[in-house]
Amino acid sequence: MTLEVQNLHVRTEEREILHGVDLVVKKGETHALMGPNGSGKSTLANTLMGNPNYEVTEGRILLNGEDLTEADPDERARAGLFMAFQYPATIPGVSVANFLRMAVNAGRDEPIKVKEFGAMLKGHMDLLKIDRNFTSRYLNEGFSGGEKKRAEILQLAMLQPEFAVLDETDSGLDIDALRIVSEGVNAMRGDERGFLIITHYTRILNYVKPDFVHILINGKIVREGGSELADELEDRGYEFVREEVGTSGA
Amino acid sequence: MEDRRRAALEVYESQEVPTWRRSGFWTTTLRGLDIDSLEPKRYEAGLPHLELGDDSHSALIVQRGANVVHTDVDDDQIVVMPLEQAMEDHRELVEEHFGKRLPIDEGKFAAGTAAFWTGGVFVHVPDNVVVEKPIQIVWVIDEPGTAQWAHTLVVVGEHAEVRIREFVLGGDFEGQALHAGAFELYAHPGAQVDLAHYQDWGRGDVYDLSTRRVEIRRDARVKWVPIHLGGRLTKQTLDIITAEPGSDMRHTGMYFTERDEHLDLFTTDKHEAGHTTGDTVWKGALTGESRASYEGLIHIVPKAPEVDTYLQTHQMLLSPKAKGDAIPSLIVEVDNVKASHGGTVGELDPEQIFYMMTRGISRAEAVRVLVEGYFEEVVQRLDDPGLEELVRRRISEKLAGAEDQVREFIGERAEAT
Repeated sequence: MTLEVQNLHVRTEEREILHGVDLVVKKGETHALMGPNGSGKSTLANTLMGNPNYEVTEGRILLNGEDLTEADPDERARAGLFMAFQYPATIPGVSVANFLRMAVNAGRDEPIKVKEFGAMLKGHMDLLKIDRNFTSRYLNEGFSGGEKKRAEILQLAMLQPEFAVLDETDSGLDIDALRIVSEGVNAMRGDERGFLIITHYTRILNYVKPDFVHILINGKIVREGGSELADELEDRGYEFVREEVGTSGA
Repeated sequence: MEDRRRAALEVYESQEVPTWRRSGFWTTTLRGLDIDSLEPKRYEAGLPHLELGDDSHSALIVQRGANVVHTDVDDDQIVVMPLEQAMEDHRELVEEHFGKRLPIDEGKFAAGTAAFWTGGVFVHVPDNVVVEKPIQIVWVIDEPGTAQWAHTLVVVGEHAEVRIREFVLGGDFEGQALHAGAFELYAHPGAQVDLAHYQDWGRGDVYDLSTRRVEIRRDARVKWVPIHLGGRLTKQTLDIITAEPGSDMRHTGMYFTERDEHLDLFTTDKHEAGHTTGDTVWKGALTGESRASYEGLIHIVPKAPEVDTYLQTHQMLLSPKAKGDAIPSLIVEVDNVKASHGGTVGELDPEQIFYMMTRGISRAEAVRVLVEGYFEEVVQRLDDPGLEELVRRRISEKLAGAEDQVREFIGERAEAT
């Protein structure tokens, strides 16, 4: 069972951003995709979910062998893909609880029973140390940066996807919030799930140890390795990779 | 009274059928209305089938066509009866208030209503009376060819508390009808009024040309929630007046136009006295080839200092062929007040739709949820679960009816970005 990206070329209206990315995430694995600002990390995350602002000009996205390159975002979600957004949208008039129920039911044939939903929600909220009255607030309306990220991880926990992409989930979090969010992610790791953690910094990787690290620069993956690659990056910064692969100034 | 009718008739006959024009693209014309083909229709007593969202009431009065067909009052502290009858039974009270804020020379149809009204509704909540269940006033047009000249007079006494709902309802008939309505409500000192209007004319070609005015006196408070769910052509003036110090208005409205409907709303929050407060929010959505214009004015007269008020208006286009306008404006003739206003005209945000779809929610469902969420602020102000459910259901039905064009529009927007 895999999430597979093959030779992915992606453009926006202005220009091509990804110039042929290959990536395979197997269930049970946690991958980190690292790169400096503007390297194309968020483009990859958004393209995996089918954001209409990005056009795939070449290559494919496969989930368990099924080609999702042209699928609508809701089909991808129902196929088992999830993304925690860097900047999640505000949904006025829709409470966190109602939104979660809608999302949970979207992936089921029969709507979830009220009791079951309540118990599940309470369990995950306790784990993420989320206040009870949080669920009656409109989703992301007036949320702090940290509250938005927690709401994303709460959705991840409720939806139990096969593959989860975390797009810069660590940015804007203080150290306590980062620890709580990381614990939430760690609690979900297991043979049944694959993670792709997208980040600029190595900070979150101290809490969520990746099995593999990929470095994306200028729309191409230029280095790959185990978690030691993140440590190297921590010590030496992105410059060393740029120098090694000769893309500095490109 | 007869003098007023005669004077109004003169005004009515001396004026041409009006066309309202404003700068830009906006024109409201009655060219399509064949007024000579319409007539007041009278009906036998009897309660027609109505959907009011809530069965419980302290009083229900229903006028069908030109006469009241049903009155039922469960609370002997209040008066709810046809206005014609109140002219006899409560002469003094009626004379003191009738037409006080509705001059006969505000245009042809306002004059027409003053000249031709029949039946009518009178509500009196005496001083210090607190009414638990709402008073429901219903105007029905269910046959083409109907001319309904309507007048509602509501007097809420000092420190009285009441909830009032006025419905204007039509059927899905083929053909034209006219509802030319006057509504006036007087909230005496210390009164607390929770007022809602609910307009749903159905698919008949109903032309709704109405003026509604609310006067709020010292330390009284009126919360007013007008809901517009459609009509062939609506031209309404809604004014809420804080007339004495300490009076407060909360004015929250919505409209949802579809097909080839035309809606033209002008609201005024008028502060005639200092130390008054106001809060106005209007939200609209447009589908089909409909046209909707909302113009909201805050008017603070000289000698009314220490007013604190604001007005916000939002409009959402859900179809490439719909056209709308949302214009807030301000006339302040005095210093030392706090008044602000803002307006937006926009479309559904593709980022919100994308976000919801990544959670497995279909595009149609996402649109429905976003539009319902957008209106939720207004719907909740009704503070009436039964009526709220009715409004939510109608919004959802209208969206379902427009699903294809909304999808096409959203798709186009997404492609374009």
